[in-house]
Amino acid sequence: MTTKAAGRASAESTRAYRNMLLPALIAVTAFGIVPLMGMFALSLTDYNLIKGSSGHFGLDNFFRLWQDRRFVNSVYVLAALSLLGVAFQVVLGTAVAVGLQKIVPKWKFARSLFLAPYAVPHIAVALVWLSIFTPTLSPINAFFDLFGITVPTMLTSQNGAIAAIVIADTWATYPFVMLLILAALNGISDDLDEASALDGASRIQSFFYITLPLLFPALLMVTLFRFIDTLKHFPLIFVMTKGGPGRSTQATNFYGYVQTFQNSNVSYGAAIAVFLFVFAAIVSFYVARLNVRLTNG
Amino acid sequence: MKLTRRGTLSGMAATAAVLAAPMRVRAATGEINVMLFAQPYTQGLRNIAADFEKETGIRANVDVVGQDVFESRINLTFTGGTGEVDVVHVPAIQAQKWREASWIRPVDDYLDALTSRSDLLKGPMDSYLVAGQQWGVPFAAGVGMMAYRKDLLDRVGSGAPDTWADMLAVAKQIHSDDVAAVALRAAPGQGFNMFIFPMFMRAYGGKFFADYVGGDLTPAVNSPENLEALKIYIDLLNNYGPQGVGTFNFPEITASMQNGQVAMTIEGSGVVSLIIDPATSKYADQMGIAVPPGGPAGRSPAIAVHGMGIPASSRNPDGAARFISWATSTETVRKIALNEPFIDFVNGSLARDKDLVTKYGNIQPDLLNVRVAALEQTIGHYRPLLPNWDEIGAAIGENVNGALNGLYSPEDALEAAQDEMEMLASF
Repeated sequence: MTTKAAGRASAESTRAYRNMLLPALIAVTAFGIVPLMGMFALSLTDYNLIKGSSGHFGLDNFFRLWQDRRFVNSVYVLAALSLLGVAFQVVLGTAVAVGLQKIVPKWKFARSLFLAPYAVPHIAVALVWLSIFTPTLSPINAFFDLFGITVPTMLTSQNGAIAAIVIADTWATYPFVMLLILAALNGISDDLDEASALDGASRIQSFFYITLPLLFPALLMVTLFRFIDTLKHFPLIFVMTKGGPGRSTQATNFYGYVQTFQNSNVSYGAAIAVFLFVFAAIVSFYVARLNVRLTNG
Repeated sequence: MKLTRRGTLSGMAATAAVLAAPMRVRAATGEINVMLFAQPYTQGLRNIAADFEKETGIRANVDVVGQDVFESRINLTFTGGTGEVDVVHVPAIQAQKWREASWIRPVDDYLDALTSRSDLLKGPMDSYLVAGQQWGVPFAAGVGMMAYRKDLLDRVGSGAPDTWADMLAVAKQIHSDDVAAVALRAAPGQGFNMFIFPMFMRAYGGKFFADYVGGDLTPAVNSPENLEALKIYIDLLNNYGPQGVGTFNFPEITASMQNGQVAMTIEGSGVVSLIIDPATSKYADQMGIAVPPGGPAGRSPAIAVHGMGIPASSRNPDGAARFISWATSTETVRKIALNEPFIDFVNGSLARDKDLVTKYGNIQPDLLNVRVAALEQTIGHYRPLLPNWDEIGAAIGENVNGALNGLYSPEDALEAAQDEMEMLASF
């Protein structure tokens, strides 16, 4: 093949790849970028579902965010729910994955069993845990009542309600962590374990000094995915606590819903959504960059 | 699988047909879409919607969804102005908001054609009368009623408590580890704890605004009367309620009354009918009913009126009006009340209907009479009929719930609610 022909083939190949990307680009633009721009434009207005808009255009909604005690409170609630939730999910998901891979590798059915909660819709998860945490309905309370033991009520205190949501969220989503970590573990050769065993390392030492560092990129990515997902906390709060007691579980996403649908402040709700999007984008960007740096050594 | 051009085109055509289906259906004449949220009446209406088609030749697609889903969907439907909905469930508490947003149209032109207009009670009808125009037609009026365990109250020589203070005194005597004395809605929300708490407020002379009837909407929720009311509400629930009552809503209350875990409650009449029904309650034969307690300033049972209206964007308002006329007719409502556990009807003659009196008399001889007695003591603006009541009611309800669960003192909760009402008034 001549150089000219090779160049032509390369150009055709590039064009073909671009054409293949086109449907995805159109879809992302139509269903991602355009609605996002629309939401950003809406956040710059003073549009209210009932009153309409005066035509004012500006950053007022964003300045209002920082003066709004309820918004600031919602960020603290979100931080507590996200950080605690992700921490428990990553630890539990990793522990189960390592157990299934290293301790009981032949129990294939156990993987399906542990995966089951992930298939349950979030609303159903919320209803199940709501009944568990409601003393008059809870089978746990009923059991302990037989022995005269009173189980503390979780949903009526701020810390208890946050813990209840974290527990329900962890139960529903740790299988996601487990799946990704299992996939990562499959990519680590057993030879490394065998070699470390020959050198006298215990299984725990082998895990902490060999397996865990090799899992780090996967752990980082799964933590990021879960963290971004927890920014969207809604169904569990909506069903289990309705944002209460008081407003102590009104996370930012829930507060955006309250402003938009309950209070009809659509433009302010859009500003809250823009805040969440920008925050998630910044976190994603830095974690992705960190991941590249770690992967490249 | 091999993709052929014919296969691809067939697939695209099928997809287009599926996507176009709702539009094609909607475009057909003689068809209306009805969107309601789940209640015994609306579920009963859906079950007999085919009768409407038989009578009028108009097909009614009745969609009954959960209330939360309804509210989100209806906001999107209305703001989108899609015209997909011809008849919509209008809680009276929302009528002002939807009118101001121009989401619903007045129905005055259709009132004369209502099949049972003269039989519809004036109070519920007037709940939809705003600025001289009628914005909906009622089909149900849920009213606050008390349900209590006669056996437990008899044991301490008490009948149904007449005042909240009496209720507190009885609660002290009957509360035990096995059966809590009282459960009331506590979950925050204008339709949840704010369905109950105003009964306390009004009994002690408390108000939301300086003079709502006279038009002075200066917030007045931090008054000493409201504080006294809040303290007794908290005392009752925290000291004599079941464990976890601070988050209770009507489903938890219904279950705990039906299972005998609680001795007294005040609930909407629809819920009370489930609590005292032998088919659903283990302790039905021990249940008594009464009008809710009052206080030094009298008694003000909670009321929630529900009706149907026509969205401004409806493409078939005449068909919608015929449906509303049929759905609120005494004959249709009677059929639903016989088929479902539905006592909240607003067709006056049904309270004397022999079959209904027999049906509900078998559940509890006084059920219909107590409901009417409670209804007669209600005031139309039990919860203020304001366009932004959702926001105001939620703000008060969240602070009341916070005080109940010990996050703030009752004084601080009412001050915070007052501040928020003032802030909302300034917007």
